[in-house]
Amino acid sequence: NLKMAAKSIVIDVEGMTCNSCVQTIEQHVGQMNGVHNIKVSLEDKNAVIIYDSKLQTPATLQEAIYDMGFDATLADSNP
Amino acid sequence: FQKHEFFVDMTCEGCSNAVTRVLHRLGGESFDIDLPNKKVCIDSEHSVDTLLETLKKTGKNASYLGEKSTQ
Repeated sequence: NLKMAAKSIVIDVEGMTCNSCVQTIEQHVGQMNGVHNIKVSLEDKNAVIIYDSKLQTPATLQEAIYDMGFDATLADSNP
Repeated sequence: FQKHEFFVDMTCEGCSNAVTRVLHRLGGESFDIDLPNKKVCIDSEHSVDTLLETLKKTGKNASYLGEKSTQ
């Protein structure tokens, strides 16, 4: 089965103040294994990530952003 | 005491706050952040490698500049 287990999550990110912060997160998380797409919004203070659920989980993605020095919390707790 | 001086490519308050947080999480660090000059001075028991690795966790360019003796 070649169909990928792509999922999308929203992670609230606190502590970003400029586009440099946004780009840093997009580059860092974007190059993680299993991350297909990431869009970080400075206005909404969140990151929308499309990822392969076989390779990443909401927790590992949240931790990656947390490790970078930002407060990251999962926005929606979908089942 | 020797302080370790690092270059970290910070551009704004958010960047320096991120550096502050990762260093706090490492624990027991005493440090000064010089945002305009993109420098971080750390007084720590940890090795330079550990500190550099921690700074690089922020996803920014970081490099070790050397020791800085406190007068």
